Amino acid sequence: MLLDKLRSVVGAAHVLSGVELSPFVVEGQTPTAAVFPGTIDEVVAVVREAAAAGAAVVPWGGGTAVSVGAQPSRAGIVLGLRRLARLLEHEPGDLTATVEAGLTLAALQSTLRGRGQWLSLDPAEPERATVGGIVAANAAGARRHLYGTVRDLLIGITVVTAEGAVVRGGGKVVKNVAGYDLPKLFVGSRGTLGIIVDATFKLRPAPDDERLVAVRFDRLKDCGAAARSVLASDLLPNTLDIADATAAPALGLPGDPALVVGFDGLREQVDWQIGELTSLVATLGGRDVTPLPSAAWSRLTTAARDAIAAPAAVMSLSVLPALVVETMEQGAQAARQRGLTSAWAAHAGVGAVTGALLAEAEAAVVVAVLDEWRTIARGGGGHASLTWASLAVKSQVPVWDDPGAAGRIMQRIKAQLDPGNVLNPGRFVAGI
Amino acid sequence: MVSLDPERKSSLRRELLSIVGQGGVLSDPDELLVYESDGLTLFRALADFIVFPTAAEHVAAIVRLANREGVPFVARGAGTGLSGGCLPAEGGIVISLMRMNRVLEVDYDNQLAVVEPGLVNLHLSWAVGPRGFYYAPDPSSQQACTIGGNIANNSGGPHTLKYGVTVNHVLGLEVVMPDDGSIVWLGGRTRDPLGYDLTGLFVGSEGTFGIVTKIVVRILRKPQAVRTVLAVFERIEQASAAVSAIIARGLVPAAVEMIDQLTIQAVEDAFGCGYPRDAAAALLIEVDGLRAGMDTQAARIGEACREAGAREVRTAADEAERQLLWKGRKSAFGAYGRVSPAYMVMDGVIPRTKLPYVLGRVNEIVAAHGLRVGNVFHAGDGNLHPNILYDPRKAGEEARVVQAGAEIMKVCAEVGGSISGEHGIGLEKADFMPFIFSAADLTFMQRVKTAFNPTNLCNPGKVFPTKKSCVEVGPVAYRPHAIEEQGLAQRF
Repeated sequence: MLLDKLRSVVGAAHVLSGVELSPFVVEGQTPTAAVFPGTIDEVVAVVREAAAAGAAVVPWGGGTAVSVGAQPSRAGIVLGLRRLARLLEHEPGDLTATVEAGLTLAALQSTLRGRGQWLSLDPAEPERATVGGIVAANAAGARRHLYGTVRDLLIGITVVTAEGAVVRGGGKVVKNVAGYDLPKLFVGSRGTLGIIVDATFKLRPAPDDERLVAVRFDRLKDCGAAARSVLASDLLPNTLDIADATAAPALGLPGDPALVVGFDGLREQVDWQIGELTSLVATLGGRDVTPLPSAAWSRLTTAARDAIAAPAAVMSLSVLPALVVETMEQGAQAARQRGLTSAWAAHAGVGAVTGALLAEAEAAVVVAVLDEWRTIARGGGGHASLTWASLAVKSQVPVWDDPGAAGRIMQRIKAQLDPGNVLNPGRFVAGI
Repeated sequence: MVSLDPERKSSLRRELLSIVGQGGVLSDPDELLVYESDGLTLFRALADFIVFPTAAEHVAAIVRLANREGVPFVARGAGTGLSGGCLPAEGGIVISLMRMNRVLEVDYDNQLAVVEPGLVNLHLSWAVGPRGFYYAPDPSSQQACTIGGNIANNSGGPHTLKYGVTVNHVLGLEVVMPDDGSIVWLGGRTRDPLGYDLTGLFVGSEGTFGIVTKIVVRILRKPQAVRTVLAVFERIEQASAAVSAIIARGLVPAAVEMIDQLTIQAVEDAFGCGYPRDAAAALLIEVDGLRAGMDTQAARIGEACREAGAREVRTAADEAERQLLWKGRKSAFGAYGRVSPAYMVMDGVIPRTKLPYVLGRVNEIVAAHGLRVGNVFHAGDGNLHPNILYDPRKAGEEARVVQAGAEIMKVCAEVGGSISGEHGIGLEKADFMPFIFSAADLTFMQRVKTAFNPTNLCNPGKVFPTKKSCVEVGPVAYRPHAIEEQGLAQRF
C-alpha cells in the first residue's frame, strides 16, 4: 500500500523493494522500501506518505556513516538523496556555494578546484560521502585542525521537516545572526530532526602549495611532546596527527609511532614551516621527516581502523588536546592487559582520538575493553562514541555517551520538531 | 506588561535581596532609568528590578522566583547591544551579570579559558596577552561589551573575515535553564559535541534560551606577523570592486574594512588618523600569520587594489601607524558626533559581489528621505553598517530614518543577504524577520525556542515578529512599532 503510494510520488524506477534493499540494511533491519525523490516537493510528499502510514523515515546519503548509531527503534523506509545532486549556486567572488544534499564531496571539490576554490572539509571516503550526509554526521578530516568542522563552514540549510514542511535556516551570506542558528542544530543531528535537502557553505581559495610530512619517533610519548611543541610554536599547520606503531603502516609508514603534519599556503610559507618543523622535532627525538603523498590526507581519519583487517570495534574519543597521547597509551594498555591488539590514531591538536580493536576476542572481553576506553575518555575531560561494533557488543556498550542534563534539552528539541518520532528513530543520543 | 502592585513588588524585592544580598537589587525609578535602553536609544523600557547576582546559584534562584511569580526576566551585560535585545520589553526583572566578571581559569596547554559572562571582551585578551595569546572576536565595543553579551548576539568584529565570529570560539556553556532554574552544561572543554550541538545553537539566541553563567572559549596564539595596508580610492565603486579582486586572488585577509568620505572627514576632524580627506573611500586591509610570505601577500593586495583603481596603496610603516589607522576605523562611530547630533547604525549583510549595487542603493534611499549617511563597515564579509545621520529635535526626521532603515534592509534581503550580521534582531528588527524567513521557518524557530524556554518568561517579545503581516515599506508615514502601541516601550 505504502509502496504503491511511494511509486506514484517518485516513479516506480525510483523505489527499491525486496532483495534490492540489501545495501540499506541497518543493524540487521531491512527497510520496507528505499525511495529516491528527484525534487524537494517529492521529498515532502514521501515524508507525508510515510508519516501517514506510521513508517519511520531514514535519510540516506552515501551510507558511509550508517554503522554509527544504536539499533533503530522501529522499521521504516530509506529516503535516499542521490538524485538531489546539483551544485545550485557558486559565485566565486562571494566564496560561497549552495549544494544539494546528494552531491558527493569529491564531485563538489572537483568543480570548485577547477575554479580555484575548495570546501575546507576532508572527511573519509569523499567519493561516497555526500554533502547532506557529511552535515548530518558532522564528518571531518585532518584539516579540521586549521579549518574547523562543519559548524564553522555551514552558513545555510534547507530541510524537510518530519511534518513535510520546507524550512530554511541561516542564509547565503558569510556573516548572519538573523534568527536562531538552525544550521548548527542540523550539524551532527544524524537525520533525527529533518531531512537536509541543500546546504550553503563558506569556501576558501585553493592554496598555492600544500604538503604533508611524517616524522618517526621511537616512543609515542615523544610524538605527543612534539605535537605540543608544534602547538606552542609559530607554525600554522592544517594537520597535526599522531598514529601509533600499529596504525602507522595504514599510512604507508614503518611500524613506529609517527607525527603527521600538513601545511598549506604560499610556497615560501610551506617551505619555511617544514624547515622549522624539522629543526623542532630533531630536538625531541624525531627522525626522517618524510613527505607523504597527498592521497594520505584522506586516510588519516581512518588510519586506526584501516590498520586492523576486521576490527571488533572502533571507538571515537573526544579528549583535551594535551591528553591525546596519554589517552592512546592507556587505551592500548587496557586492550593489551586482555591480550588484545589495538590501533590508535588522532587528530592530535583537536583531541579527536580513534581506537580500533582487533576482532579475535569474545564479546565479553571486547565489552570490557570498550567500557574502559570510555572511562579513559571521561578522565580526559571528554566522552566516547562507539562508531563501529557488532550488534552483540552494542547491546552491552551504549553507542553514545551519557549527555547528562543536556540530554533532556535534546529530547525536548526532538519532541518539538518531530513529535511523531518519524525521523531515524532510536539511533541517536538519549534515546532519540 | 505584568503589573506589580506595591505590596507584591516589595515582597519580591525582599526575596531578591535574600538571594543576592544587600546592594544587589535596584528598584528606585531613578536607578532603573540607567537601564532603560541599550546602545540603541530608540527603544526604552523600564524594569521593575535590576538584580546583580554573583554566582550561578543566584541566577538559578532568581529564575525560579520569577517562574513562581510569573514575572518576565532578561539577562543584561554591559548594555552595548544595538538592537534593544536586553530591554525588559514586558517589564519584570533585569538580571545584570556585570558582577560575574572573573577569568576563572586559563589552560594554555589546551588553548582555552573559562570565564564568567560579565567579563569585558578585551579584558580576556589582556589576561592571556602576557603569555602570547588573545581572544579573537573583536567587536568594535570590545573595551566595554561583555563576553556573555557576545554569546547572546554571536558578535563579530573586523577580524571575523579570517577568524570567524563568537560561535567559532566557544566550546561550552554553563546555562541556567529558564523554566526550572536548573544549571546545565552544554558542550564542554573538548571539541566534538555529544548529541546535538546545543552550544552552537545557543550562541546568538539573544537571551531567549536561558542565562549563561560560565563560558569555555578558545584562545589563540598571537600571529607571528601583521601587515596593515591602506588603499585609497577616488570612487566608492572602485573600493567595492577591490574587495572582490582581493578575494579573487586567493587571499583571505584577517580584515577588510571600508570607510567612506563622510566618515573619513569626521574621523580626521576628530582624531587626525592619516586618512586622506578628499578620498571617496578607503579600504583598511590587514593580513596576519607567518612572517614568511607577508611581502608576497601585501604585494598581491596592492596589485588587486591598484587594478581596481586605487590612487594610493600604503603599508603602515610601524605599529604606531597601524594603531593610528585602526583608531580611525574603531572610533568612527564616536566621530559622527562631530557632524550630526544623532545617528542610527544599520547592520545588513549582502553577498560581497553585490557591494557596488547595494552601496549605490543605500545612498539613493537615504537621499530620497532627505538624510545623510556615512558608511564604515566590514567590507570583506559584506557586512554593511550604514550610519544614517539625523537630528532628533527636528519633527519627523527620526521617523524618516526608521523608514530609510527598513528600505535598506529590504534591499539587503532582495539581493540574497540578511537583516543582521552582528547586532542581532532584538526589538529593532523583529518585524523585519519576514523579509528573509517564511512562516514555516519562523514556526520551526519558535518550536526550538519552546524546547529551551517553554514558559516564555525569558526575554519575551524579541526576535519574532510581533504582527502577522510584515512591516510595510513604501512611501507611508512613520508608524509606531508594535511594542510602542502596546505601551511597552517608547521611541525617542
